[in-house]
Amino acid sequence: MTAGDGHAEVVALLHREALFLDEQRWDEWLALYTEDVEYWVPAWKGEHEATADPRREISLIYLNSRARLEERIGRIRSGRSAANLVLARTAHAISNVLIENETAGTVDVRCVCITHIYDPKRRSEFRTVARNALGLVRVGEEWRIRSKKVLVLNDNLRTKLDFYML
Amino acid sequence: MANRHPSEGGGALTFNKRPGFAYARKGQVVPDRGRTSGDPDMDASDIEALVIDRPEDGVFKVHADVYRSEEIFELEQKYIFEGGWVFLGLDCQAPEPHDFFTTYIGRQSVIVSRDKDGVLHGLINACRHRGALVCHTAAGNAPTHVCPYHAWTYDSAGNNTAITAHDRGAHGAGFDAEDHGLRRIPRFESYRGFLFGSLDPDVPSLEAYLGETTIFIDLVVDQGPDGLELVPGTVHYTYRGNWKLQIENSADIYHFMPTHETLLRIVNARAADDAAAASAYRHRKEGSVTRGSMCFPNGHNAMFGGGDNIQARPLYRELDKLRERVGAVRAKWMLYTRNVLFFPNMQLLENASLQIRVNRPVSASRTDIVTHCIAPRGESDEARELRVRQYEEFFNPSGLATPDDTAIFEDIQAAAGADAVDWNQGYMRGMGTASREPIAEARELGLNPVTSVTGSPSLGDETILHGPIRAWRDRLKAALSSEDRPSLRYGSAAAE
Ligand code: FES
Ligand SMILES: [Fe+2]
Repeated sequence: MTAGDGHAEVVALLHREALFLDEQRWDEWLALYTEDVEYWVPAWKGEHEATADPRREISLIYLNSRARLEERIGRIRSGRSAANLVLARTAHAISNVLIENETAGTVDVRCVCITHIYDPKRRSEFRTVARNALGLVRVGEEWRIRSKKVLVLNDNLRTKLDFYML
Repeated sequence: MANRHPSEGGGALTFNKRPGFAYARKGQVVPDRGRTSGDPDMDASDIEALVIDRPEDGVFKVHADVYRSEEIFELEQKYIFEGGWVFLGLDCQAPEPHDFFTTYIGRQSVIVSRDKDGVLHGLINACRHRGALVCHTAAGNAPTHVCPYHAWTYDSAGNNTAITAHDRGAHGAGFDAEDHGLRRIPRFESYRGFLFGSLDPDVPSLEAYLGETTIFIDLVVDQGPDGLELVPGTVHYTYRGNWKLQIENSADIYHFMPTHETLLRIVNARAADDAAAASAYRHRKEGSVTRGSMCFPNGHNAMFGGGDNIQARPLYRELDKLRERVGAVRAKWMLYTRNVLFFPNMQLLENASLQIRVNRPVSASRTDIVTHCIAPRGESDEARELRVRQYEEFFNPSGLATPDDTAIFEDIQAAAGADAVDWNQGYMRGMGTASREPIAEARELGLNPVTSVTGSPSLGDETILHGPIRAWRDRLKAALSSEDRPSLRYGSAAAE
């Protein structure tokens, strides 16, 4: 496979992930992840230093399996979480995609993701701006996400932050 | 009418200001004083009318205006947040010489700075020349702070060490007679590394203000043999709601099961798969878990209880050593769920993990929150990882519990649109059983709360909310009754 093809496949995966989140197709979204995925949203220690050791420092979110993501989907679907009583409409805009450390079966990807979030209940809007680093792995014909690190720049969070806002 | 602007000369600043307000001791009556000019058009009787407080009839109600009026917000800022003790931070946020951090007292940016000799100083973060912000970062290390505007320079004790082209400035004698150091926070004290400041110099000592609630600071500081430390990573969030909604929520036992049903479902499902994964909130039977509350003078309160799954606590691993070091009673209390409010702006919250939460009201309907995880200094990797995961899951706005609370604060604020929402009824559970005699759990810690209650979680006591509301009412009433208006003096570095 040429590097160009690989790039197109990776970009397609990122766009598909964004679409699944935006259309609330949670099961299809979840299927993009490996079971042992490390899903990590660091917190900030200073103006330009994020936490680096999720075992001894605080993260905004640190999950080390797909099951933990599934719990969050269940929480939203239950209709019993006040933070998610009326789900937001979102558009995840992916840009600045850069491929790093490509091997036959793995690839590391950097990108920027700006999530536009509209809250129909409050008729208000806000956004999450993040620099993402993903580790992808080949599973058969497909790429899967084995690690996803989301560095949220605007971390004065408006009441909540969850996977569909990233 | 008193002058609201700085007086001339002497480096002193004179405000129109009422005298010391009502820091009530148990049973003490708040003196009546005349109101201060320039305040919103309210007087003490208007404040009084916003709280119906008749314990003898089992009635306690708070008017919705207390949570939505911008006039009241102005009064709170001036007379509570900028007019008395507020929490600033922990001394371990600036451990080394020249370390500093910045925070707020009400609307005032302040610096806490450790000087070259290790002494901490509370300073006003505004240049003495023309008022530009001096410190720009949340924290750092700097032997000197140079103002970006005209480059006046201050050392880490707040002294002015350089005035740009001073000798060529052709100043008159008046300028040179003044001190040019950063203004000091008039009162700046520490209780075991918990730093508090007051812009009003006329307040009781910090220990007198905190009273018996210092025991709840001890219960945190003494968890490890070497004191506590901040776990790196600051989490900020903001909500469109009044600040009191947050402090009331943390004391509110009644909301836990309904509001946090999704969290409980998740953690119980995990425990069903893997018993070792049982959370602190594993399925609880009525009767096995207790919850109680205590109100203290000056608006502080504590919700507490036992019967949770203490094996899930990071401290549990060291329980024997802990008992040996602090005794069985304090060790038991360290493993209790405890939500303690240090009125008005700081909470120490411990359940599956331990949080310090600081609120900063921005308007009547907006509040900023800053949170830290705290832990025994140097705890084991295993305990720390457990603490960090449980902290994130429960306390973070990106976790599974806090966002449901915070969303409801916004719902409450949005729903209180007009006078159709006036007197809410949610302050009266527990009034039939709240006692002026300390409950047994208070006595075992040597505490004498104003009122205390104990029972099962479903009692859902709400008398715990009365303490902060009464302090709020009494402080504002005293301020609005104030007649004589002594000046507020900020002593500058050299003047002290
Ligand atoms: S305002 Fe700071 S030096 Fe002028
Ligand atoms: Fe809650």
